[in-house]
Amino acid sequence: MVVEAKQYKIETKSIDVGQVDRILASFRGTRDELIPILKRFQDTFGYLPEESMLRVASFLKMPESVVFGVASFYDQFKLVPTGRKVIKVCRGNACRVRGGKKILKEVEKILGIKPGESTPDLEYALETVACLGSCSLAPTMVANKETLGRMTPEKVDDIIEHNK
Amino acid sequence: MAGKKEFDSALPDKQRAVLICQGTSCTSGKSDQIRTALEQEIARAQLSNINIETTGCHGFCQEGPTVIIEPEGTFYTHVKAEDAEEIVNSHLMKGNPVERLFYHDPTTGEPVANYSDIDFFKKQTRLVLRNCGHINPERIEDSIKAGGYEALKKAILKMSPEQVIEEVRHSGLRGRGGGGYSTGDKWQVCRNAPGREKYIICNDRNTLEGDPHMLIEGMTIAAYAIGANEGFISFRAESPLSFKRLNNAIEQAEQHGFLGNGILGSDFNFSLQVKEGIGDFVCGEETALIATLEGERGTPRPKPPYPAESGLWGKPTIVNNVKTLASIPTIIGDAAKWHAIGTEKSRGTAIFSLTGKVANNGLIEVPLNMPLRDIIFGIGGGIPNGKKLKAVHIGGPSGGFLPPSALDQPIDYEALESAGSIMGSGVIVVLDEDSCIVDTAKFFLSSTQLDSCGKCIQCRWGLKQMVDILEDITSGKGQLDDINLLIEIGEGVQAGSLCGLGKTAPNPVLSSIRYFRKEYETHIKKAHCPAAVCKGLVKAPCSHTCPAGVDVPRYLRMIAENRYDDAVAVIRERIPFPAVCGYICVHLCEAKCRRGEIDEPIAIRALKRFAADHSKKLPKGMEKIAPPSGKKVAVVGAGPAGLTAAYYLAKLGGHAVTIFEALPETGGMMRVGIPRYRLPKEVLDAEIDVIRNLGVEIRTNTRIESIDALREEGYDAVFLGLGAHEGSKMQIQGEDTQGVIDCVSFLRDVSLGKKVKLGDRVCVIGGGNAAIDASRTALRVGAKEVTIMYRRTQDEMPAAEEEIDEAVKEGVKIEYLVAPNKASRQNGHIDLECIRMELGKMDTSGRKRPEPVDGSEYTREFNAVIAAIGQKSHIPNDMGVATNKNGTLVADPDTLVTSREDTFAGGDVVSGPASVIEAIAAGRQAAISIDKYLGGNGVIDEILAPPEEIKGLPEDTGEEEEEGEKHRPNIPEMTLARRQKNFKLVELGLPEAKAIEEAKRCLKCDLETD
Repeated sequence: MVVEAKQYKIETKSIDVGQVDRILASFRGTRDELIPILKRFQDTFGYLPEESMLRVASFLKMPESVVFGVASFYDQFKLVPTGRKVIKVCRGNACRVRGGKKILKEVEKILGIKPGESTPDLEYALETVACLGSCSLAPTMVANKETLGRMTPEKVDDIIEHNK
Repeated sequence: MAGKKEFDSALPDKQRAVLICQGTSCTSGKSDQIRTALEQEIARAQLSNINIETTGCHGFCQEGPTVIIEPEGTFYTHVKAEDAEEIVNSHLMKGNPVERLFYHDPTTGEPVANYSDIDFFKKQTRLVLRNCGHINPERIEDSIKAGGYEALKKAILKMSPEQVIEEVRHSGLRGRGGGGYSTGDKWQVCRNAPGREKYIICNDRNTLEGDPHMLIEGMTIAAYAIGANEGFISFRAESPLSFKRLNNAIEQAEQHGFLGNGILGSDFNFSLQVKEGIGDFVCGEETALIATLEGERGTPRPKPPYPAESGLWGKPTIVNNVKTLASIPTIIGDAAKWHAIGTEKSRGTAIFSLTGKVANNGLIEVPLNMPLRDIIFGIGGGIPNGKKLKAVHIGGPSGGFLPPSALDQPIDYEALESAGSIMGSGVIVVLDEDSCIVDTAKFFLSSTQLDSCGKCIQCRWGLKQMVDILEDITSGKGQLDDINLLIEIGEGVQAGSLCGLGKTAPNPVLSSIRYFRKEYETHIKKAHCPAAVCKGLVKAPCSHTCPAGVDVPRYLRMIAENRYDDAVAVIRERIPFPAVCGYICVHLCEAKCRRGEIDEPIAIRALKRFAADHSKKLPKGMEKIAPPSGKKVAVVGAGPAGLTAAYYLAKLGGHAVTIFEALPETGGMMRVGIPRYRLPKEVLDAEIDVIRNLGVEIRTNTRIESIDALREEGYDAVFLGLGAHEGSKMQIQGEDTQGVIDCVSFLRDVSLGKKVKLGDRVCVIGGGNAAIDASRTALRVGAKEVTIMYRRTQDEMPAAEEEIDEAVKEGVKIEYLVAPNKASRQNGHIDLECIRMELGKMDTSGRKRPEPVDGSEYTREFNAVIAAIGQKSHIPNDMGVATNKNGTLVADPDTLVTSREDTFAGGDVVSGPASVIEAIAAGRQAAISIDKYLGGNGVIDEILAPPEEIKGLPEDTGEEEEEGEKHRPNIPEMTLARRQKNFKLVELGLPEAKAIEEAKRCLKCDLETD
């Protein structure tokens, strides 16, 4: 179930608590470890499950609200499952003419998802954008915040492979 | 500690070596495969004594992957694994470097073989980056051999911490991250702060991937100076590779005794940890960065107390930027070198990331007093594709814009600050004429707004409001007050924010308003984006750029469907001269055509002519003609502006229009400026007849001297479209010599059928389209040898390239970098004394100014000299309207009303010499204003073409679209032999199949929805 708290959505689905505790066990329990711990959760689950945030609060002996405050502050922490690495394929005119559709199809094929979806392992999310404004590099896409130009289906394979 | 032996085992100098860059960018270009391929080829060729080395980033990533061959220093660019064989066989075996892999100078286009001859490197002063690209960043021995850790030895073994601080303070080093605070002073505060536990933190963004030891050494010296035993590098890993490399470097430094306990045998202990950074731009703020390290939300804390007194976990802490800390080894190790560079207040070098519309992009290091011009045009190699520099943005998202007039500013702290910019994160973004200032400011502000941590309300809401206002302006919903509102909110955000983010975030907006206020006003007042960028305003860049707003994509679609009458109707909805423009328009639209970014812009003008040539009549029943209004309008001048104004005033305003023309023929410059071989008489006559047929009376041979006289004749309003029909003088001695004539009179006389005798040898002075027209016309009236003299080079020549090409084909000779000095008559010919020019300093537009070369005078003989260096208007003294100093008429840029409320003016007489399409646009505006003045509604929009069945973009309709590059068709033209001594039309027009194919190349930008 997804609960909406103001504009934040939190995933409350239960998770493997043992996995959370194993991660916590590798830390000392000092306050400055909060962000590194949350990062490990994010890496493990692809987002921060509610249960993990509650557990880290009691582990570090701090209010749950503070944990939520930190978790919701940083862009890179996700509170609902989304692919960790975002691939954006440009569907602008210049890209279209230079074969942008082939690029999108290739990404869809490799990842097995459509734009707006995330892979089941939450490794990748796929989006399309109207125009990245790098028409001279068409066709373009963004992988993990990096703009990549003059794309070819072969390059897509390499990039996704490289990022894995 | 490193043993002496290890130093010696490093490379002997001057040995044959192959250096492969393995910076992040080159690695993504598969430099590891290139290395393997080179190793294999070298092994296969059985070459020995060749060292294959891996280096860090050179900072010239756009040319990567790169390979350097030492000892000669050959720099190979864009290398692929397949190139390995040729590099080995040709270069390493036979000594023939592979020229196709050389770097090409963006200005000259010439290949440059050696690293040290490339301006991008040659013009830098690399102190901090000196090892980047030359050593293997994964091997500390390379760094040590290059002098690494010598400064640390000097600091720890020979200097007290106070002496180190004093040296740093004396160096004038200031924070390279943003604030620009004196590094020495900051360290002193921290050293003086009580307490045994102190920290040093480095805020890194991957700058020194090519030489991590420079940073480690700098940090260790800093720790020694302030008395810290623990340090952190907050590292925002762009790739796992660089994270690994940094950790590896720390480990090696520990093994060599440069880190850890008892460093270099002293009692100084220092441990260094890499902390994978988190968060965004705001976390660059030192207190926010400390908060993230403590596990808190990354929001800034009020200062004082400064971190130097109470920082990480309440302990004295120094936060320095990576570039600041990496400068320390040079300052301590080689103070003399440092002091020799920069200005009194801003000493040493600074590292910048040079990017945007500049030929050479990359990471550069320059003295702090280097003028921006030398960075952009020297190191950067200028603006690519012949575009003009529009602005420079310095300092990252919260930096400021500088106009081209600031090019001679040095890039030191004071100069930048007084110009409204900051050193900031040291990013220099170059913008060319195709960039929109408002859109770019919005882009920067949107990114800082997202990074606002939300602690201070001014920053949290003020930036949001500013982004919203910019959104309005860029989508046609702006109000004029918005500009002042932006300034007010921006200054409020600066005043009311705790940290550097809020204090600087409004910079891009405030500085762009300061220097480019007009561009904001154009967006607001005219819903026009001059660069054709803002999506909310620009449907298709071609139509948006057309001064008259002709709906290009729509008529191209009609051409593609063989609907030529409809296509011309679409054009006629905006201009009464579809055919004339099809023949001779300067096609500003093509320069902004988005297809041009893929392969080549659509041949819009040629397609317009094709439609006009193939159209028979306008679609029936679409045209509306207004009933008579009872008002009379006098139009002075039957050129494109006057004829257009008359057309709309008569047709859609119902006014009785009389055009007064001083010349014996109608058309203005369309008839007496543009030669017939480009625009046939019949084409022009046919379109003027359409205007006559609306009841417009044209009185030729009638010169008007006074507006009052016209009013007395009963005219209710007047339009002045006088044009610019007087040639400008060259201001040289002997200008009045018989045979020295001006271009405007010459072309006019020829057009009006006067006998013009030039003689055999003709010289044309000038470089514009008029000079080209004059030269080609001179050949047609019998000249045997025509020479154009232009004071700059071909690159600067303002004439259209296609026109220049035609002139040269027809036999015109063009001499560059020469100007006339004086003319005199000798034995039936003209002696023209000329002087050689050279290009000196650049003016504000980035064009180099021609300067005469002393003593280079020489004399040439001609029978006629035609001056085509400019033209101006003749305005009769008693006309009764105000003029500007430059001889043009005063007219409101929006309404075209002159100093009299009953009189309007437009075209060349207001703008100075411009194009037909701009005059037509002025005629349209004048018709709107005059109609309103006479009590009409001022609406001149009309629908003449039947509605289109919009199918949408191919991706939506499933229609097949050809992918890949396709080029413009060649436009057929008459053979040279058949052009001899006549004025027959040169350009023959596109054949139907080609035209349809070309029209289909259009990207249909206007149908794109978001």
